[in-house]
Amino acid sequence: MGDEQHRWAMVVDLRKCIGCQACTVACTMENVVPPGKFRTIVSSYEIQLEGETRNMVLPRLCNHCENPPCIPVCPVQATYQRNDGIVLVDNERCVGCSYCVQACPYDARFINPKTNTADKCTFCVHRVEAGLLPACVETCVGGARIFGDLKNPQSEVTKLISKHSTRGLRPEMKTRPQVYYIGLDDRISGKVEGTASLWNLQAAMGKENKS
Amino acid sequence: MLTSRRKIIKTVTAAGAFSLFGFGFSHTANKMLKTVFDKESTLDPISGYAPKPEFNVDLKTGELTTNPNQTVSYTMCMGCTTVCGVRVRVDNETQQVLRVTGNPYHLLSSDPFLPYETPIKESFQALSRFQEKGLLSRSTACGRGNAVLEKLRAADRVKVPLKRVGPRGSGQWAPISFEQLVKEVVEGGNLFKEGHVDGLRAIRDLKTLIDPEQPEFGPVANQLAVFAPFKDGRLRFAARFAKASFGTVNFTGHRSYCGLSMRSGYASLLGNWKKQPHLKPDFANAEFLMFIGTAPGNAGNPFKRQGQLIAKSRSEGKLKYVVIDPVLTNSDNMAASDRSRWIPIKPNTDGALAMAMIRWIIEEQRYDEMFLRQPGPAAAKAAGEASWSNATHLVIVETGHPAQGKFLRSTDLGAVFVTKKGKKPAAVVIDSVSGQPMAHNKAGEAELFFTGDIELSDGSEVAVKTSFSLLREEAEKHTLEEYSSICSIPADTLADLAREFTSHGKKAAVDTHGGTMGSNGFYNAYAIVMLNAMVGNLNWKGGTSASAGRFKEIAAGPRYNLKKFKGKVKAKGVGLGRQRFPYTKSSEYKRRVAAGENPYPTRAPWYPLSPAMSSEYLTSALNGYPYRLKALILWSANPVYGIAGMEAQVKEKLADPKELPLIVSIDPFINESNTYADYIVPDSVLYESWGWASAWGANLTKVSTARWPVVEPAMAKNAEGQVIQMETFFIAVAKCMGLPGFGENAISDKEGNQFAINTAEDFYLRAAANVAYDSGAVPEAKDEELALTGVDRIAGLLKSTLKLEEWRRVAYVYARGGRFENSDQSYKGNKLKHRYKKPMQIYDEELATARNTLNGEHFIGTPTWVEPKLADGSLLEKTFSTSEWPFKVISTKSNLQSSHTIGIVSLQQIKPKNAISMHTLDAEKLGIRSGHKIRVITPGGAVTGVAMVRNGIQPGVLAIEHGYGHRELGARAHRIGNTIQKANSMAGYGVNINDLGFSDPTRKGLSVLADWVVGSTARQGLPAKVERV
Repeated sequence: MGDEQHRWAMVVDLRKCIGCQACTVACTMENVVPPGKFRTIVSSYEIQLEGETRNMVLPRLCNHCENPPCIPVCPVQATYQRNDGIVLVDNERCVGCSYCVQACPYDARFINPKTNTADKCTFCVHRVEAGLLPACVETCVGGARIFGDLKNPQSEVTKLISKHSTRGLRPEMKTRPQVYYIGLDDRISGKVEGTASLWNLQAAMGKENKS
Repeated sequence: MLTSRRKIIKTVTAAGAFSLFGFGFSHTANKMLKTVFDKESTLDPISGYAPKPEFNVDLKTGELTTNPNQTVSYTMCMGCTTVCGVRVRVDNETQQVLRVTGNPYHLLSSDPFLPYETPIKESFQALSRFQEKGLLSRSTACGRGNAVLEKLRAADRVKVPLKRVGPRGSGQWAPISFEQLVKEVVEGGNLFKEGHVDGLRAIRDLKTLIDPEQPEFGPVANQLAVFAPFKDGRLRFAARFAKASFGTVNFTGHRSYCGLSMRSGYASLLGNWKKQPHLKPDFANAEFLMFIGTAPGNAGNPFKRQGQLIAKSRSEGKLKYVVIDPVLTNSDNMAASDRSRWIPIKPNTDGALAMAMIRWIIEEQRYDEMFLRQPGPAAAKAAGEASWSNATHLVIVETGHPAQGKFLRSTDLGAVFVTKKGKKPAAVVIDSVSGQPMAHNKAGEAELFFTGDIELSDGSEVAVKTSFSLLREEAEKHTLEEYSSICSIPADTLADLAREFTSHGKKAAVDTHGGTMGSNGFYNAYAIVMLNAMVGNLNWKGGTSASAGRFKEIAAGPRYNLKKFKGKVKAKGVGLGRQRFPYTKSSEYKRRVAAGENPYPTRAPWYPLSPAMSSEYLTSALNGYPYRLKALILWSANPVYGIAGMEAQVKEKLADPKELPLIVSIDPFINESNTYADYIVPDSVLYESWGWASAWGANLTKVSTARWPVVEPAMAKNAEGQVIQMETFFIAVAKCMGLPGFGENAISDKEGNQFAINTAEDFYLRAAANVAYDSGAVPEAKDEELALTGVDRIAGLLKSTLKLEEWRRVAYVYARGGRFENSDQSYKGNKLKHRYKKPMQIYDEELATARNTLNGEHFIGTPTWVEPKLADGSLLEKTFSTSEWPFKVISTKSNLQSSHTIGIVSLQQIKPKNAISMHTLDAEKLGIRSGHKIRVITPGGAVTGVAMVRNGIQPGVLAIEHGYGHRELGARAHRIGNTIQKANSMAGYGVNINDLGFSDPTRKGLSVLADWVVGSTARQGLPAKVERV
């Protein structure tokens, strides 16, 4: 399933996210996700740096990993990866054991209370195959979510990944996630000395940060 | 995972009670076994319940195939007051709305937006993956815009006319016919077995005065008040009924409890108190922006456009910005690094910040001198400026002079002036070249700092100062250090802000909004917006815009005159909020002066400057000052929930029909206000209705957004087969009463032909014809475009209502969801194409010559720093001291909830309830931790809610997000006929900040705390104390 000529991926440019949750609700509407369950959501964080407090938002979804830990644990092969990289669940095969839910380091899966089967982001594969974009991408107000084909050198995602330093979530898990974040790396890793402030307060701030 | 990293505090804002990705780890073997048997089958084993896509686009050819079972129509959202253009995807068979996203032609949903002439098919293709067009032409709805469609099918929706059968507010209703509704509302009678009630026919008396002793109050007809707070594109229909047809002056919006302080600050700056235009930065080209008391990207209007532009500019463009607000919000973005910054400030002290910056800018001579020295339009044009100011105009400052506070006029120096309505003689400036006094429209560059005596034509001398000198004097009343200690921002930071702000030429701007809604809100706002004049940014690319406006729709348009009609009434009299009328012209004033009394104070403030004062309406009517109401119509209105302190003031009296004999509400839902209604008229929801709206600001090109019924409306129909909604009701009432402007001969075309208004369509479709022909006619739509957009559903109506040559052009407009000027019309060189013509007012003569009617004193004519006050001008602190009330409560605007969206599951699943935010340092002192139940007490009330302890808030502040804490809108079950509604407990979650508002002890009778100059309701900086429960 899926064409191996493509590798679908998402770039999330965190600089452009305004935390409006349009993606969250669009996903709920498009995929008729039961209340209180999320295939995607934007988490928001308050980050305390030396001398200033910052707001950070982080859209999260299934990473459609190159090395998905959810697949080997499935006892009935209900969850699988297509040749184009999209990780899916066949809800007719799934027995709802939730091993995959526990195996996912991103908390991206849940048991759908209506179907009692594992559920998660499909990259809106039904839309992608119709030549459309995933619902969350279509409605992203800040334009933070960019979806496309990594095997196409002209695609926006390929260009963005080559232009920017991007980072996936939890690299230590060796899952090779295919959701690439711009603006994630040096911001939450504790290295805050780069918080150059505006104007000539910079010197004073720099001093504080070194302490 | 992320929360385990050091220095990171995860707030409870986003995920609330539901954890991030559901409850992944809670499953048991038991559940697992169960699933094998309980599995529900879905539409597709992979895509589950997702409906089939609306289109299919061939990625090689771009060819579009539509899904024959669905229709995508371009119409308008009503989830908040931004009213964006959206695309609505409807299941043809069930008439259910499946999903809502943006309209790619529409500026409020897309950047860039498509050229208007783009064929519909290409507009759909532009949303797809074909050539990755959908990434560039992405057109969005926000979280709320995606979610509000749930309201269409809400269980508590009112679909038939209701009449109360119990006491007011008891929640007991009987369904009645539309015909009975109209008859009873018009004719009155012993309607509730409580005694006689006057109907609208009796109240519509344009001859008898309310009070012969006070003729300025106008006729009895003014004793009907109509609330129409939502500019959703239908307001001008309601206005036609209330003002122009029925003839009451008391037709009001929501401004006085929304953003009147900001609008008034701009009214002073832009010299238009009546219309109160306001500015928005050119987000795309500005280099430095300051947001003071507003939070672009988190909330505000236009919500999405600001969010989208700021996201783009801070990552791809040159923009740096600072948000100065007591609370950290999504306006800040750490990933954007130093492009964005949050500076906390004490509530109600924005004016100190702004005056400090003004002082520094003047002292350091960093102001835009070239701009400020141009005294008139001709000089400005010659200097290459895009606007001008009155900075150099001379103000008479001679103490006791009859014209003290007024501008020196050319007529004072002997010039001849022919009196013309709306025109004043030229102001006088000191021409820089000649050094002589000259008319502002004749002089070249003029002196900024002149102070001295000028000889008048009568030989007398008078002391004058320039506007700019007066501003400098006000700014110099405090040092930077004093301003710093007032607003809690270090003096160095104040200076740095001022330096940065004046380092980008005209590509810097400030913006403000609801954060200024404190009892000193007006002067705070005027001071903030004055910073725009310091850099002379009006009408410049990268500067500020007063909006490009809209096409002519509900207007005297190119096809039909929807303004004038035979018998149109010019409503007259002092408004119920004592607004736009100087107390000094009132009978009360004259009587008191004649009796040798001090004419001050008045029982309640008069607001000579402000437009309709809806926040005063209920209290004024119930106090009987200036007069009482006989009837109230609430359309889409919820003042009891929305005005800080109002509910406690009015709930008992509103429940008493003797106090206000007739209350009619037109609304699809029962809210905290119309729960007191005698009748409820059902109304349309969202995409079921007609309307014409525009962008509220931040549009450099013209926008006219069309709303049209893209689904079958759910309301009941009347005997004539029309769906019952606001328009149906007003038409029927007007026809029943024989009022002008409805029924036959209500609309005329250019040739003088007359047309009737018997249906909503009669009105809105003719507005559409105006749009289609304004500034050049649009092309005719082809059948294919009608079919693609569902406009074929209304084609019959277009044909039967409009002229042969009109209907396909109107269809072209509806197919695109309105009419929009192309983005290449935004700029002309480095200036805006659509410009604001009047000057920026450094000194506002109208303000300076008005008085506070509780203390009789004149207002200061320039921005100045004033502390929060009570209505009589005394300090709030004097009555409600910090020692007794150590905290200040503020209201924050939600990025998810509007005042009317509670109970929508797809929104509330993200944030089920609001929290009460407080600073870590304050919480530690009181032993409060996040999640603790706390009680917040103010002089007006108390709320109990959940604490959220954080660092992203100014110490000493308690912040409550607006939109929660409802008592109605589903939270309470009403009995309708024999059916008791099912209450939705979610609708009641959280707390309402407005429960904490309070009355002003310096006023008599019922009141709410308001700004002491313009009367905007105070919801920011309410004195409070807090305790653990």
